[in-house]
Amino acid sequence: MFTFSNGVHLKDCKGFSAGETISRGPEPETVYVPLLQHIGRPAVPVVSAGQRVLCGELIAKAAEGLSANVFSPVSGTVKGVVGHITLSGKKLDHILIENDFKEEKAYLPPLSSQDRPGILARIAEAGIVGMGGAGFPTAAKLGTDKEIAVLVVNGAECEPYITCDHRIMLEFSEELLEGVRLCMTACGAKEAVIGVESNKRDAAKRLASLADGGIRVKELKTRYPQGAEKQLVYGCTKRVIPEGGLPSDAGVLVVNVHTALAVYKAVRENTPCYERVMTVSGSKTDRPCNIWVKNGTLYRAIAEFCGAHEDCARIVSGGPMMGEPVFSLKICATKTSSSLLFLGENECQSDAAEPCIGCGRCVQACPMGLSPVFIERALFDKKYDEAEAFGAAQCIGCGCCSYVCPAKRFLMQSVKLAKKNVQARRARERERAQQNNGEGAEKTNG
Amino acid sequence: MAEIANYKVAASPHKKDSATTRRIMLDVLIALLPCLVCGVVYFGLYALMLVAICVATCFASEQIYNLIRKKPFTKDLSALVTGVILGLNLPPRAPWYIPVIGGVFAIIIVKMLFGGLGRNFANPAAAARVFLLLAYSGTMTSFIGADISGNILGADGSTGATYLGGGTAALAESFFGVEGYWGNVLQLFFGSIGGSIGETCKLAVLAGGVYLIARKVIDWRIPVVYILTAAMMALFCWNSAKEILLQVFSGGLLFGAFFMATDYATSPKWKINRILYAFGLGVITMIIRRFGTYPEGTSLAILFMNLLVPAMDRFLLPVRFGQRTKKGTPKPQVMKWSMRGLCIALAAALAIGTPVIAVAEYNRPAEASLPAQYRYIRTMAKDRKGYYYFDVQGGAAITDSYTQQLEYKVVIDMPGGTVTEIEPITQSTMGYTAELSLFVGKTYGEISALSGEDLSTDSETSATLTNTALQGMVEECFIAADNDHNGTELIASYNYIVGAADSAIFGGRTYLVKGVADLSEYNYQQQLLYSVSVKDGRISEIIPIVQSTMGYIAELSLFIGKNYEEVAALSDGDLSTDSDTSATRTNTALKEMLLECLLDYDVTANGLTLPENASRIRAAGNSSAFGGVSFLAEGYADLSEYNYRQPLLFYINIRDGKVSDILPLRQSTMGYTAELSLFIGKTAEEVAALSDGDLSTDSDTSATRTNTALKEMILECFEITGGDAA
Repeated sequence: MFTFSNGVHLKDCKGFSAGETISRGPEPETVYVPLLQHIGRPAVPVVSAGQRVLCGELIAKAAEGLSANVFSPVSGTVKGVVGHITLSGKKLDHILIENDFKEEKAYLPPLSSQDRPGILARIAEAGIVGMGGAGFPTAAKLGTDKEIAVLVVNGAECEPYITCDHRIMLEFSEELLEGVRLCMTACGAKEAVIGVESNKRDAAKRLASLADGGIRVKELKTRYPQGAEKQLVYGCTKRVIPEGGLPSDAGVLVVNVHTALAVYKAVRENTPCYERVMTVSGSKTDRPCNIWVKNGTLYRAIAEFCGAHEDCARIVSGGPMMGEPVFSLKICATKTSSSLLFLGENECQSDAAEPCIGCGRCVQACPMGLSPVFIERALFDKKYDEAEAFGAAQCIGCGCCSYVCPAKRFLMQSVKLAKKNVQARRARERERAQQNNGEGAEKTNG
Repeated sequence: MAEIANYKVAASPHKKDSATTRRIMLDVLIALLPCLVCGVVYFGLYALMLVAICVATCFASEQIYNLIRKKPFTKDLSALVTGVILGLNLPPRAPWYIPVIGGVFAIIIVKMLFGGLGRNFANPAAAARVFLLLAYSGTMTSFIGADISGNILGADGSTGATYLGGGTAALAESFFGVEGYWGNVLQLFFGSIGGSIGETCKLAVLAGGVYLIARKVIDWRIPVVYILTAAMMALFCWNSAKEILLQVFSGGLLFGAFFMATDYATSPKWKINRILYAFGLGVITMIIRRFGTYPEGTSLAILFMNLLVPAMDRFLLPVRFGQRTKKGTPKPQVMKWSMRGLCIALAAALAIGTPVIAVAEYNRPAEASLPAQYRYIRTMAKDRKGYYYFDVQGGAAITDSYTQQLEYKVVIDMPGGTVTEIEPITQSTMGYTAELSLFVGKTYGEISALSGEDLSTDSETSATLTNTALQGMVEECFIAADNDHNGTELIASYNYIVGAADSAIFGGRTYLVKGVADLSEYNYQQQLLYSVSVKDGRISEIIPIVQSTMGYIAELSLFIGKNYEEVAALSDGDLSTDSDTSATRTNTALKEMLLECLLDYDVTANGLTLPENASRIRAAGNSSAFGGVSFLAEGYADLSEYNYRQPLLFYINIRDGKVSDILPLRQSTMGYTAELSLFIGKTAEEVAALSDGDLSTDSDTSATRTNTALKEMILECFEITGGDAA
């Protein structure tokens, strides 16, 4: 079985929702559609207050540079652009739309040419971003100049609880494979590998039985973080993405299965990206499920829809390992919200940190080969050179170190902080070096 | 829907492993329990008290330190773990203050002053043990033997050596019926031997260690690599496959490997570094054991490797995923592959080395015990092919004032009957050396036939004298080898005979007899050792090995060719061969020795098989000296009222159904001797009819008891003849 070094074995807890077929989610009365649902710049609104929009109509256009289009998830009336809290705690601009429940849909124009530029243009037009969680605009990723040998499709879904990718692979197998083929065309890859963890063997078998034409399905060991980009590429292709490099440096690109489905919908069904499949799970829900959730749906609406209990101990957006804690149910779902977990007291731990006993479990667990214990010590001693030597800059934030720590230390946060400091120092040094060069150049000119 | 209100917002990851510091420390305590139980069973409740003092001291010193430094009390169990480990590392009868001093040193100096839990520079228990070892060397190295039976509360105990301090002599000859090497191994394994409280029972240590590995509390790499390295080092440092198990099961190696070397704060964090760390531990431990003055090196090795750990952690880093060299090529995983190579090399060295060295060891000459002090031979060893290796020392008197010291190694091929090798160790450095070719490849006969002329290899006499001395040495080697190689077990404990063999050199039966010429008027006891050969009931050859070097030697011609009757008939007058008494006394002593040899020959030459129930009769044979049937009977006069058992040895001859002769070989030397006339000439019925009253020949009971024992012996003799006749 294919895998990577280290990592941790987790209880997958997917039983809550793994058997639930994807169904329609809540139909909200109002939606707060964030202008920033991706990496890069916020989209620029193209609608004004009072304007009527259809479901699937463009409401905000991608800004210059890295950005993505945003579409209305409902038919209704635009109430205006309002500031609204997001998961990160910042207040950002959202377009508030009142739903008229008429469900009138708008479609993208039919695609004239299905060659590489045509497909790339359509992906950009449909506002598709990486739906695994990162939210990198897919058109920018697939439109790389580098030569891509293998397209790796992420069906690992290594976080516990989450089952949306699993259901998509089972229920939309053919659409997904067609989406993968379109992505291959879009990036010029001759080969694609769909990596699926062994706890989703039914999905792997189904995809393998349908796959053809350069698409292979690879069963991966169930081990966290199997779905992290570098680990997934290594598990599927044995290629190693160099430090500080992109997957394209190793001749690969990674797209999530949900992204591939979105590409299919945009190209073949002329439907833009305004909703996604989301897993709602945890012991504190009456109805764990996999549902289509429109962008901008308030978490409160989802909680009501699934019957969340009022005594839940913690609410998490995303998986329990890397997911963000939800501090308010007024936060709304985006293109990258893969799950919402309502966890009970016994499902999450919040012990106080104790002194490090130096057991080294974090070193053994780190899938990147870092030494979190020493990075943390270096951070506390403000020895950033040392932190860098122990690899602080390479942290992928998977949280394995914090997970295994018997002293319950916040290692992942420490390493991330060290990473930030190290990167800031590097940037300063680069700047200084450039200044020096600039001065030198001026002098020669003079 | 009711509002969800009381939820927490906390940093990811939201799920965490169930392991906690307290649980880990608790696991270690659980794993130490079997060691503690075994320690108390073997060494008594005093040992438990020592461990309790140590635990209490460790716990109290940590909390008092916190109090003084105004820090919160620590609730993890790590101080208890340190206390138990240090307590189990103490000798079972250490005075009470030893654990107190050790506990304070471990917790305050090694742990708290360096930053407390996880920041100690060395394993607190190992550092404290080494400190105590240096400060209280005597106390810390005096152990008592394990004793399951009693003395459970007492503070004393018989001192017991350890294998590391005393070698196999410290171990029992057999352990629950298993003898020799495997008995030693089992004894060490079950820990019924002196040592620190918790380390002796390896079974308990292994049980605890396996528990810790199964619970994933410790990394298996450290103990496994440590033990394998130690095994490999034992194999090669001692050049012996037997040493592997003896060394591994000795001292604190296993305890240290599972409980002390695996201490989190002071072992490397990266698993690959742990292999290097454990390898270093194994090497240092065994070097200290083999070449150092301390018998045990485990805690010193742990302390030393602890100090290297920070450097290993800082400079031997795991290769990061996707890490590149400055040239942009993938960074090679040097440590990972070299440590894997090390493990393979270790396993291969053990897998190949063990059988090779075991075979060599099997064929290697083994030290054999000498039955008596020879004149020249210092050590004798033999291998399984029948080759004998001697270390002989002697002197060649070159002038009256100068004696050349001589030392040779002589190898004799006993089945072949020849000298195969002579290696000079010490002889003249001026060229007057022995002519080895005179001896090598020759038989005993050829060597003893060498005349003075043959040995004269130089115009001067020095080399000649050396040759002559060497001739005597080689002859002695032959006699010793012959006696050992063709030796038969002695049928009884004789007064003089220390070895008997069906000789390959002299034919017939050869005895090694040891005695004393009693020159008490000169305040001197002359040691005597002769090799005596008996053929057809007659003395065929007597070779003196040890007797007077001043000329007062036995007159062998008095005895050669004579049978029992003739030797026994030699009167004091016949034996007086010198005006002084020295030679006479030697002759007298030799006569007694020869008589014993002839009697042994008489009962063994035409031996009868004894019935299995014979309890007193050691041998029976058709007598050539006396006719009829001869017996050798051994027993005791049970003088239990004097708390004494007088050993008895009688030669009994029965002819025509009557007791014809009784020759006492051993009985009381204080006059309480058997009244032989009670038995001589009597039949079985008559002897059986002797009542207790008849046998009471003295007012004391001593002679009576001797008579009673003799009666039993004679009756057993009759039983055997009766059975034989039928």
